[in-house]
Amino acid sequence: MRVPFSWLKEYVPELESPEVLEERLAGLGFETDRIERIFRIPKEVVFARVLEASPIPGTGLKRLVLDAGRVVEVVSGAGNARAGIGVALALPGAEVGGMRIGERRIQGVVSHGMALSPKELGVGEYGGGLLEFPQDALPPGTPLAEAWPEEVVLDLEVTPNRPDALGLLGLAYDLHALGYALKAPEVDLRTEAVPIPFGLRVEDPEGAPHFTLGYAFGLRVGPSPLWLQRALFAAGMRPISNVVDITNYVMLERAQPMHAFDLRFLGEGILVRRARPGERLRTLDGVERTLHPEDLVIAGYRGEESFPVGLAGVMGGAESEVREDTEAIALEVAQFDPISIRKTARRHALRTEASYRFERGVDPLGQIPAQRRALSLLQALAGAKVAEGILEAGNPTPPKPIPFRPDYANRLLGTAYPEGEQLAILKRLGCLVEGEGPYQVTPPSRRLDLTLEEDLVEEVARIQGYETIPLALPAFFPAPDNRGVGRPYQKERRLRELLAGLGFQEVYTYSFADPEEAPRFRLFLPPLRLLNPLSPERAALRTHLFPGLLKVLKENLALDKPERALLFEVGRVYRVEGGVVREETHLAGLLFGEGVGLPFGEKLSGYPLLKGLLETLFARLGLAFQVEAHPYPFLHPGVSGRLWVEGEERGFLGEVHPEVLRGLELPRVWVFELRLPLPEKAFRFQDPSRYPLALRDLAVVVPEATPYAEVEGLLKEAAGPHLESLALFDLYQGAPLKPGTKSLAFHLRFRHPERTLTDEEVDAAMARIFQAVRERGWEIRG
Amino acid sequence: MRELEEALAAIREAESLEALKTLKARYLGKKGLVTEALKALAHLPLEERKRRGQELNALKEALEKALEDRARELEEAALKEALERERLDVSLPGVRLFSGGLHPITLMERELVAIFQALGYEAVEGPEVESERFNFDALNIPEHHPARDMWDTFWLEGAYRVPGPLGEEAEGKLLLRTHTSPMQVRYMVAHTPPFRIVVPGRVFRFEQTDATHEAVFHQLEGLVVGEGITMADLKGAIFELAQALYGPEARVRFQPVYFPFVEPGAQFAIWWPEGRKWLELGGAGMVHPKVFQAVDAYRKRLGLPPAYEGVTGFAFGLGIERLAMLRFGIPDIRYFFGGRLKFLEQFRGIL
Repeated sequence: MRVPFSWLKEYVPELESPEVLEERLAGLGFETDRIERIFRIPKEVVFARVLEASPIPGTGLKRLVLDAGRVVEVVSGAGNARAGIGVALALPGAEVGGMRIGERRIQGVVSHGMALSPKELGVGEYGGGLLEFPQDALPPGTPLAEAWPEEVVLDLEVTPNRPDALGLLGLAYDLHALGYALKAPEVDLRTEAVPIPFGLRVEDPEGAPHFTLGYAFGLRVGPSPLWLQRALFAAGMRPISNVVDITNYVMLERAQPMHAFDLRFLGEGILVRRARPGERLRTLDGVERTLHPEDLVIAGYRGEESFPVGLAGVMGGAESEVREDTEAIALEVAQFDPISIRKTARRHALRTEASYRFERGVDPLGQIPAQRRALSLLQALAGAKVAEGILEAGNPTPPKPIPFRPDYANRLLGTAYPEGEQLAILKRLGCLVEGEGPYQVTPPSRRLDLTLEEDLVEEVARIQGYETIPLALPAFFPAPDNRGVGRPYQKERRLRELLAGLGFQEVYTYSFADPEEAPRFRLFLPPLRLLNPLSPERAALRTHLFPGLLKVLKENLALDKPERALLFEVGRVYRVEGGVVREETHLAGLLFGEGVGLPFGEKLSGYPLLKGLLETLFARLGLAFQVEAHPYPFLHPGVSGRLWVEGEERGFLGEVHPEVLRGLELPRVWVFELRLPLPEKAFRFQDPSRYPLALRDLAVVVPEATPYAEVEGLLKEAAGPHLESLALFDLYQGAPLKPGTKSLAFHLRFRHPERTLTDEEVDAAMARIFQAVRERGWEIRG
Repeated sequence: MRELEEALAAIREAESLEALKTLKARYLGKKGLVTEALKALAHLPLEERKRRGQELNALKEALEKALEDRARELEEAALKEALERERLDVSLPGVRLFSGGLHPITLMERELVAIFQALGYEAVEGPEVESERFNFDALNIPEHHPARDMWDTFWLEGAYRVPGPLGEEAEGKLLLRTHTSPMQVRYMVAHTPPFRIVVPGRVFRFEQTDATHEAVFHQLEGLVVGEGITMADLKGAIFELAQALYGPEARVRFQPVYFPFVEPGAQFAIWWPEGRKWLELGGAGMVHPKVFQAVDAYRKRLGLPPAYEGVTGFAFGLGIERLAMLRFGIPDIRYFFGGRLKFLEQFRGIL
């Protein structure tokens, strides 16, 4: 919210400076986004009165004759340029909006300056017409800066819990609690004992719990006085006319939106109801809207007929808006159901100053005071006569008392604030403090956020200042069920560190996936899609990590042409199973390029390297790890394996399918991906045997297509319990072997934990191996 | 004696251990000249035998010594030659293995988690796809409340359910969690106080990306619940964080702010001595009574006894990217998901 310093200072006269204000507000919980200085008006901009406005034939322009202390002639294209209004006139030499005003000849007429729009003067956004003042606002020729000195505006962040602070008075009350004197505006209202010529019916009290209508007549609609226009510009609003400006001014003062209806367009009065299906309304912004049956509307009525004249709490209708010839108004000041307003504002994509406040809530007791304040200003500034009565429907709900224990406040805060100090703070905030132990504290009705004892505790701390709360560290033993909960996290951290130690570089990629791209990666469509994606490429959630790694590689190749890469990512992937989202943590790795070796010699890379790295990883983790051939659609059909860890299927390892690579214009790449968390093996110490090893070598000739794992498995099984280890040391094909066969040669180590193995025992084990090999139809070589 | 001179010269000039062996055999071998001469002594008269024997022994010793010396010389030369032959250019690069590294966010997160682990906190993680029940409702952010505007949210298509705190199926519209705070609810439902936890994790905001904003980023949530936990304890925790991150000159500043799931609520800043400025790091506060009530209500649904009556707690949350950017001098948040190795490889020195 924009807070003009001078405006707030009217209510808090002791305010020192904008800088001090910023600091105070920060301590109260209102952060200033930025500080703006406006109304830097050059001295050559003066107040002038338009004496004469005549069209220049054949153009859209007018020749204006102005009284600016002397008579000045200028050319203006503004639609609202007319005799009888006051304007801001930039005389030659003035610099406005980054341009220097000079004397110019326009369409054969010499313009001795320029009549300015709010935008040209730099006080507002509006550039569609002249800034319009009452013609007697100032003596002609007075530099405008004398009436409109520079203003400092704080742009405040007001959190949704403090709708009261969306009015300057709300901030003033908070500052008052800090010790500043408060000067609330006085209402000086003289009313007339006249009957109110319209009725009020609220058909939907849930939508409008409290609704009031004031009556003002004999109005003279015209431009607002300079101070009011300045206040609105400073607050970021555009002055329209005195009547409309007053409603906005009071809203900015009290956070209570209001709306003035031209009485001529209401029929017999106002009816508050939900919209009928298909009902239409042209709102003030000129948009013709089809209403939704849930929208709350303000309608005029005649007998049983009614017709919408406003979208309640959001925007008034165009037809009934106040215009120059409006003489009498019904002034609506109400409290609406915040949720209803929020839904309507969303439905019509129409967020206004009014809806913004109503959806956060207004002071339930604030309607009548706001009526009186607005009516008094109408009387003072628009010549209005005001009826004595105010129509009222519904019962405002007053705030309820809250039990409050000062010692609880200290217990929650860890402070030792004296009881008297705490109660004094609550009183300064406008609370009514009654009773004792616990106290009954009734907050002021504008403070919708105060409903619990904890809310009052925050008030005490907020006004004392959070800096007065000491520092402490709690000492306690956690409840037993919390012990060890951090173990899975620690394990994953260590896994990442192991991978980094093995030479893998960690990368992070987005959790999103492009559903269009799934076929490109030969993947199924991702089942989880976003309702509101930022872009089509991020419209779904990923099911695998490896596509992200491939993209990372592609970008790096395009930019930096690395000769090789070894990447990993640990991250979440998302599936749906039986209608339930299954979120899993995956680990994926990628290998590309020349691999390892001497820079000037032969290199090892590809599948064997990546598999070797995984074997090292699993050896370090103490987990059994196997790969068996299994075709995955996105992997090269001949280099595609399923990963088993401790007998559990965990993922895949292989070369990326050439078609996927071609689609991405990538060279050959090897990847793996597996599901975490990995199992943890219970540790059991084994005393290493001190007895001698028996070493044997063995070569087995098997058909070419036989997987290594099968051979290894058979040997291990046949060797019996004393085979300590077995290591492949040669793989051979070619003469003198039969075509279509290969020879696998192993070193075998036998050992017994408690005694020396005899030659006979080892020979017996070897004999069992020979027999098993032959039974399988394989041969022993040599 | 002339023979001796010749023999010694031959030994001295022997070119190899092989040649030396031959010489040794010629003079001292079983049928060597000296051996033969010694055998012949037996036929000489005693006096002469004695004299001649001494001569021959001296001769034998001289030869043996010469052989030994020469052998040593030759061995030394051979070793020297071998060492010379095996000389390497030690400045040549070795076998090129890979050098890996961790992502800077992992590094920053690890540092933060370690700070809190030293204070007795355990690190736990929660799901990224979340139900609005845990992301909003249970955190006192009901539907249609303007407070929901504080979190721009990615919503998911489809009427799926997510696993709840104890693996049960949880209802509610699905979204990508906008903060790590839903883990407050999940953790409390599944555990009993007192405890201290931190929750690092990835969060999502429906937000266009620029140099300082990312739609996907990382937070660290803290939650301490027990009897008598105070706001002073919260300030102490953040103070410890500040001191651990930036040393004894670091200070903390707390200001009131609104988060629906804490009361009193605060935002906190840390005085960064090196940069000489306050860093607004995150939000914090005392756990809102409505959050405790929502937790106990959910526990009841699961058949668990209430566990959060009469306890208090504090929670805080902070962004990891921001701290990493300051720690490492990274100018643009987009680097983190950029995947560029030239960026990532720079963090390898951080152990």
